[in-house]
Amino acid sequence: MENLELDTTQVKKMLGKHKAKMKFYLGMCAHCSLCAESCFLFNSHDNDPKYMPSYKFINSLGTLYKKKGRIKQETVEEIKANIWERCALCTRCYCPFGIDIPSMIALARSIMRSQGVYPQYDEEKAHPLAE
Amino acid sequence: MQILNFLTPDILYDLARGPFVWASFVVFIAGCLIRTIRILSLTKKWEPTWNIPKPDKKDLSKIKKCPLARIKLSVFGTSPVTMVISVVFHLLIFVIPLFLLGHNILLQEETGISLFSFSQGATNVLTLIFLFCALFFFLRRILLARMRAISTCYDYIIFFIAIAPFLTGILAFYQPFNNYQTMIILHMLSGELMLIAIPFTKIFHMVFFFMGRFMLVGQHTLGRGTRTW
Repeated sequence: MENLELDTTQVKKMLGKHKAKMKFYLGMCAHCSLCAESCFLFNSHDNDPKYMPSYKFINSLGTLYKKKGRIKQETVEEIKANIWERCALCTRCYCPFGIDIPSMIALARSIMRSQGVYPQYDEEKAHPLAE
Repeated sequence: MQILNFLTPDILYDLARGPFVWASFVVFIAGCLIRTIRILSLTKKWEPTWNIPKPDKKDLSKIKKCPLARIKLSVFGTSPVTMVISVVFHLLIFVIPLFLLGHNILLQEETGISLFSFSQGATNVLTLIFLFCALFFFLRRILLARMRAISTCYDYIIFFIAIAPFLTGILAFYQPFNNYQTMIILHMLSGELMLIAIPFTKIFHMVFFFMGRFMLVGQHTLGRGTRTW
């Protein structure tokens, strides 16, 4: 993938639009990992923690809020893997506190898509089934 | 340095037993209220845009007949040990301080009212059960790869803020190191710290849990929910 520089102004604008709700969800996550088994990709990848719903939103939307959109290329790659390759957005993930995890992944996808970061199916390992 | 010299154990004890308690209760209650109002202001009343059919009474009776099947489909089915220990931990974190004999005597002295109290022996057993549950959570956090993957220093700090009042309380009672005064001061200060921390940290999930599961409309809302973001 080519070296992309994120438009931090646009990213911050998109983050700001949903800040209250998303920061609240991120702050309420007790890091209990009880959401893990609700993800079929977690179950089908030998319980790899990287497929846990909480891992995916903490290391995508959580990183974007923490770094205010100023992220390095390797972090962009990591976020891309978390929100597309490791998540099918099937909306089956379940949080005991009622945190709306799919809405967080969906927002991270919108932000990254606006920056030209999205799955390209001619790439190797672009799809979880290709791994 | 002069301030530190002024803070003798006796003065610290009086402060922790008096003004600090009321200050921490004010911060706790006001903080929780402000955060709750904030969530209410960020959400709006939800009106369904379509007619939700009422569940068939026959279907409901089927569900009532097989509650075990429903439990198996929930987190109680996927992580039964963790969930049972979690329920016990969260019940005891309320029950122990509210119904402790010593707390109720202090409450009686200060306000003239008090709640029902367990015997000291029963409270000690409950506190040991609570600390066992806490140990389970601690071991789970350091031993399970999935927990380590998302754990940060902040999680450990919050964990210790939550269990410190119970640990210092039981140490003050049994006095294994013959330092009752130090332990009781640490017990009061850690309890006050926990109260202050509740509205400002993720311990606020004690309020948000009920709002998230019963009030906000979502796929996993228990009941129909009344508000949406």
